[in-house]
Amino acid sequence: MNGSPIRCLILACGNTLRSDDGVGPWLAAWAEERFRAEPRVRVLSRQQWTPELAEEIARVESVVFIDCAADLEPGLIRLDPVEPAAGTQGLATHQLGAAELLGLGRELYDSLPCNALLLTIGAGSTELGEEFSDAVKEALPEACRLIEETVQQYVTTLRNRPANEA
Amino acid sequence: MSQTITIDPVTRLEGHGKITIQLNSQGEVEDAHFHVTQVRGFERFAEGRPYYEMPSLMARICGICPVSHLIASAKACEAIMSVRIPHTAAQLRRMLNLAQMVQSHALSFFYLASPDLVLGMESDPKARNIFGVAAAKPELGRAGVRLRRFGQHMIELLADKRIHPGWVVPGGVTEPLTTAKRDEILAMLPEAHANLGLALGWYKQFADSFKPEIEVFANFPSLYMGLINEDESIEFTDGALRLIDAQGNTIEEGITASRYTEVIGEAVEPYSYTKFAYYKPLGYPQGSYRVGPLARLNIAKRMGTPRADKEMAEFKQLAAGPVESSFHYHHARLIEALYGLEKIEQILTDPLILDKHVRASAGVNRLEGAGQAEAPRGTLNHHYKVDENGKITWANLVIATGQNNNAMNKGVLQAAKAYVKDGKFTEGVLNRVEAVVRTFDPCLSCSTHAYGQMPLVLSLVSAEGEVVDRVVRS
Repeated sequence: MNGSPIRCLILACGNTLRSDDGVGPWLAAWAEERFRAEPRVRVLSRQQWTPELAEEIARVESVVFIDCAADLEPGLIRLDPVEPAAGTQGLATHQLGAAELLGLGRELYDSLPCNALLLTIGAGSTELGEEFSDAVKEALPEACRLIEETVQQYVTTLRNRPANEA
Repeated sequence: MSQTITIDPVTRLEGHGKITIQLNSQGEVEDAHFHVTQVRGFERFAEGRPYYEMPSLMARICGICPVSHLIASAKACEAIMSVRIPHTAAQLRRMLNLAQMVQSHALSFFYLASPDLVLGMESDPKARNIFGVAAAKPELGRAGVRLRRFGQHMIELLADKRIHPGWVVPGGVTEPLTTAKRDEILAMLPEAHANLGLALGWYKQFADSFKPEIEVFANFPSLYMGLINEDESIEFTDGALRLIDAQGNTIEEGITASRYTEVIGEAVEPYSYTKFAYYKPLGYPQGSYRVGPLARLNIAKRMGTPRADKEMAEFKQLAAGPVESSFHYHHARLIEALYGLEKIEQILTDPLILDKHVRASAGVNRLEGAGQAEAPRGTLNHHYKVDENGKITWANLVIATGQNNNAMNKGVLQAAKAYVKDGKFTEGVLNRVEAVVRTFDPCLSCSTHAYGQMPLVLSLVSAEGEVVDRVVRS
């Protein structure tokens, strides 16, 4: 699955009609604009993550997943490594998590990105609405800074894939 | 003491449903029901909205087949406007509907059905999913991913968004096709054919190993209905409806959207929010019929494209008359997807396909209009009434899942009788009962399509309401 000029994939998830759940698409739009001139970065935003995205992930060296989290304190940002799921934990088809997408990509394409991070922001509200809660609004600059720093690091540092996944 | 088995929720479906199986005091299956437990209400909250908003509103009914709702809704609006859309717009819509059919059939076959087919009905339920297929047969998994992606990407190319695009509007479409997009679609087709060919070849090789399931998976005579062209080839976007009886005789022909209510009635049952459509002259439930891939192949004499025609000829050898077992929906689905790929290529070579005139305009010229199209799961009818200002005063939708509802219930009963013995069941038995419903690929919620990690719970309940046995699949 090599040969792609894309080195870093930013993959966001969320529903823009569900208040803070829309933070993923918002950050994706920001990243799209920020990295517009950077051909090594690709940004995708989806309402749900579906199995087709496993192929996109398997093609790249690094992936940054972005989502909101209902179980985090509102506005709290986390940036955690993601390990591929074994693939026996769920029955999903329309909606997969970051770990499941990595796992599916490994099963189907025998390939894993050497860097996979999940950036989550604690949601204050996921009720119907197009406004973010104050906590999420205040967290946006820091989330953007983290994305910028992470992506810059990924696109400027040459990484070798693990031998068994090359 | 009579008992009830409940499968709740039924997994690998579009939406939320449950199955109950009623046992008598001897432990034999007496009755079975497939329940759709969600209520939506689109028909009611459309009231008061301007008619031209209907396509974009109604597309929200479904995240898998929004294109069919867009098209049926736009056609109902065009009946209100009394306009005939430009030829190029009609061709572009036809192509969009076929792209949706390909991606939806890919989802149904590869993601929802193939775990049963590849891994077996009795396989470990924890691995009986797309991950299990990916591990056991990665080339089939990759083909499924790529074929679905083809359909979705094509929708995105044509209509700008892969889900809920706003491109189809009353009067046509908003933007013409560009040369670059046409060429990109043409370039994607060979790989899509290869992936579809792999799946079809694999299915035909292994289908015979499911003979016991074929025997009891909604395998009974029924009526069948679908859209068809004047030359008796299959149709998804235009044409008119044909109904055939259980022997394959045509009993209704040329039913246009505006005549729909002359022949189709809707009944309700207390155990489900989904309506039960029936053929009026025979009444309910005798007039129940099936729609969707199996029905479409049964009513049509030919597909209308070379390779799909060959596959259809082979398919029709499965029975002397209409092919009855709903297990064969899987096969029919793959043949339709093949037709979709061939037809898309044909449409792209239409000399007018890049024409810029893609939209007609008009105001309210009639106070009532209906439109119909084939969704991946079967015939879809939108019927609206408006006031003189064009505001919706009444709306009725007849969707595929409602039209297959009685057959699904009957199929669940048939399978339950075959597999549940002496009030006992195994996980494999549960899965087979669910798999009957999956053959129809019903779309229950038509909105969220996320079943994530919902557990499947089957309970054996006494007539007094006491749970005497319980199986949980998480």
